[in-house]
Amino acid sequence: MNQPLRRLAAALFVAFAVLILDVTYLQVIAGPRYRDDDRNPRVIASRTGKERGLILSADEQVLAESIPDPNDPQRFSRSYPEGELYAHLVGFSSLNFGDDGLELVYAGDLRSKRDLTMSDLLSALLGGDLRPKSIQLTIDHRLQQVVHSALGDQRGSVVAIRPDTGEVLAMVSNPSFDPNLFLGGEAIATRELLLADPSEPLANRSTNRTYPPGSTFKVLVTAAAIESGTAGPDTLLPDPLELELPGTIEVIRNFDRQTCGVGTEVSLQTAFRRSCNTAFGWLGLQLGAEALTVEAEAFGFNQVTPFEIPILNSFFPQPSQFSNDLPAVAQSAIGQRDVRATPFEMALVAAAIANDGIIMQPMLVSHIFDAEGKVISETEPELLQRATSPSTAAIISDLMERVVASGTGTRATVPNVRVAGKTGTAETGIGPPHVWFIGFAPVEQPTIALAVLVESGGEAGENATGGSVAAPIAQEILAYWVQNNG
Amino acid sequence: MTRNAEAALLVGAAIVAAFGVALVNLSRGEGIDAQVALTFVVIVASFGGFHLAVRQWSPEASPYLLPLAAMLTAVGFVEVYRLDRERASLQRWWILIAAVLAVSLLLAIRRTGLAPLRRYRYVFLLSGLLLLLLPLLPTDWGFPVRGFEQNGSRLWIRFEAGPLRLQFQPGELAKLVLATFLASYLSERQAVLGVQSRPLGRYRLPELRQLAPLVIAWAASFVVLVYQRDLGASMLLFALFIAMLYAATGRVVYLTSGGFLFGAGAFAAWLSFTHVQRRVSAWLDPFADFSDTGYQIAQSLFAFGSGSLSGSGLGLGTPDRIPNASTDFIFAAVGEELGLAGSVAVIATFALLVAVGFGISIRSRDTFRKLLAGGLAFVLGLQTFLIIGGVMRLLPLTGITLPFMSYGGSSLVANFLLLALLARISHEERA
Repeated sequence: MNQPLRRLAAALFVAFAVLILDVTYLQVIAGPRYRDDDRNPRVIASRTGKERGLILSADEQVLAESIPDPNDPQRFSRSYPEGELYAHLVGFSSLNFGDDGLELVYAGDLRSKRDLTMSDLLSALLGGDLRPKSIQLTIDHRLQQVVHSALGDQRGSVVAIRPDTGEVLAMVSNPSFDPNLFLGGEAIATRELLLADPSEPLANRSTNRTYPPGSTFKVLVTAAAIESGTAGPDTLLPDPLELELPGTIEVIRNFDRQTCGVGTEVSLQTAFRRSCNTAFGWLGLQLGAEALTVEAEAFGFNQVTPFEIPILNSFFPQPSQFSNDLPAVAQSAIGQRDVRATPFEMALVAAAIANDGIIMQPMLVSHIFDAEGKVISETEPELLQRATSPSTAAIISDLMERVVASGTGTRATVPNVRVAGKTGTAETGIGPPHVWFIGFAPVEQPTIALAVLVESGGEAGENATGGSVAAPIAQEILAYWVQNNG
Repeated sequence: MTRNAEAALLVGAAIVAAFGVALVNLSRGEGIDAQVALTFVVIVASFGGFHLAVRQWSPEASPYLLPLAAMLTAVGFVEVYRLDRERASLQRWWILIAAVLAVSLLLAIRRTGLAPLRRYRYVFLLSGLLLLLLPLLPTDWGFPVRGFEQNGSRLWIRFEAGPLRLQFQPGELAKLVLATFLASYLSERQAVLGVQSRPLGRYRLPELRQLAPLVIAWAASFVVLVYQRDLGASMLLFALFIAMLYAATGRVVYLTSGGFLFGAGAFAAWLSFTHVQRRVSAWLDPFADFSDTGYQIAQSLFAFGSGSLSGSGLGLGTPDRIPNASTDFIFAAVGEELGLAGSVAVIATFALLVAVGFGISIRSRDTFRKLLAGGLAFVLGLQTFLIIGGVMRLLPLTGITLPFMSYGGSSLVANFLLLALLARISHEERA
């Protein structure tokens, strides 16, 4: 009777051996696959629930914080006290949709590493700090609020940069959404609603939407003309009622369908101040596609701008793409046709003129702090690229100051402050124009450069121009900034 | 190993339980509180009392049984405490009650030994069948003992008298009672059942009267499966029956025909019952119907995967995401929080306990005791294999408890009594 008992016992021991092999397979070999499965509630819980570091503005306003659960001090919920003001910038850390914005880019610093993985334990043993780090932005919270109220309910974007350091001082995209709604139980329904909203509140218009730059592009054409010696501020350009485009029956007209000067010739300076399309169309044809493309790329078109938040490339066609289509060259010279720019890129253009032709590497995060509040990393200003020579920048700066003093941008005038700017009113072919203002102040020592874009004319609709809609917004922002920081 | 060493190991298990409870408290940011002391006292009192009873009334019993069971009980309790505080305080009561009942059993048979168990075998058969069928009692009749259904299986009886409400899963005890009956019945009929059957060419066919008990057991298991929808108990009882028949006769034909009957029954059940089909499809691909049938097993796999080598640490994982974590899926909770280290340790402890049981059986000279010990060791090992294999998706999930570790009074009582029986058997062989 012992032999069958031994066999039964042996059978069970084989079964137990199989269990040990299987549990080893399950926990070690197949383990990581199950551990990292998106449906594993632990993956989701590790995104939320744990403490994350603070996100602060330059003036130390809390933009994101982790609040401990009153019932369980080990669990935290994320909160964005400023709601929609920073939704596109700070982003969110959502149970349902993962991380976005700076919450995604700095997830490695912001997250607590106290999740007991082997490598974290090792680093703790070696004296590493597992607690979450905090980050401080270059954004000035009060300026951000001023920008937000200046834009009002109009769809559009404002990007403000400190020209000599590249610090982004404000960045607003309108309309926005409340990132707090992405954290709770209503997250999925909220997202469905936002996705269905025709005003596209989820889109970051500052960095992820491109628009025809319109007449603001004349800054680049002028730079190309001066650099190549084709024209200077006093060079006289033709001033027809209509610029006939070679090989077609198409023409370029000025905005008011009048001549720019007396109707014979007009100086570049005046053409710039009054934003004459006919003169700049002609100038574009003189410069040719090659020179325009080279200049656009020197200012950052057609290339990736390194930045904390990904920026969509702004676009200017390659010379070959024009294939001797001269009307396209002329229309591109006034920022129409296929030319596209993000508000962020146009802010860089303004900053380059303000900073002697140099574009500084834009930055959004100035400091990273450890849990003790000690600075562990500080971003130093860095040169990104030279857009144009200092002398050209100085000439254009002067031209832009005249735009605000007595040209299309007079509504950007700030009393007792020298403001430089350029307006733009970009035809879209359908509906009201997108209107622009790019500029900087104070001219003698600029501390702020900006781009204002209002989509589809904003509240003014069909009658909107850069000068009437975008310039007053810039005026409010520049006035506030120069008064408080100039 | 001496009795004193056994006692020291039991205190060791109590310390493990107390430390586990303390760690769970600390992981929640709570301090060391009365729960720690209470747990220590309850484990020491229950296993200490059990130990003293063994010293007193079965002094020659194997000293290995209690420390292994105590360690499993301790680890199981800590996980139950981590998952559900309310259930943990009930579990403490059940550990005490189970120990009291085991001590009572040793006390009751201190003079007579196992002889009465052997003598009244038909009483045991009858009570075993009754226990199995009790949950089929109506849910809503006047009598205070009623059957009821939980999680789609009808395994429970509820005793209601005024405010007192006691739930019990009688099927857990049925395995002990039927093992006792079978050991007694087979030790007498062994000669008849083991006789060489008539030849048919190269093969030997079993006699009809030899097959009769097999078919009866198969039918009884099938009734349990159909009416109570209890896959686990059904498989366990049928396998126990086949194993003991094989142990008694040494005839492989019982294994093969039993295996055939099992296969046919399982196939028929799969064809006819949706609850069996759901289990099978959840086993084959839990992620195909992730949100419904596959949810529980998928959560279990996530828990094992997240546990990795060293586990999340007690109280630091989230095994509470697995439905029924404190009962059927307690092993997945161990896998997550104690890691591969903990899960292998638990499997090894079960293997040792089963080995001690078979050792007692093999050393027994008396056929009844030999078969009883073998049957008990087998049913303990098989139950462990079925549920651990089930939560790891090695086998279809059968929904039975993990002995000593799962939350639940019926299971604890049954397995403590099983320990007492094994202790007594080992005592009688040496005394």
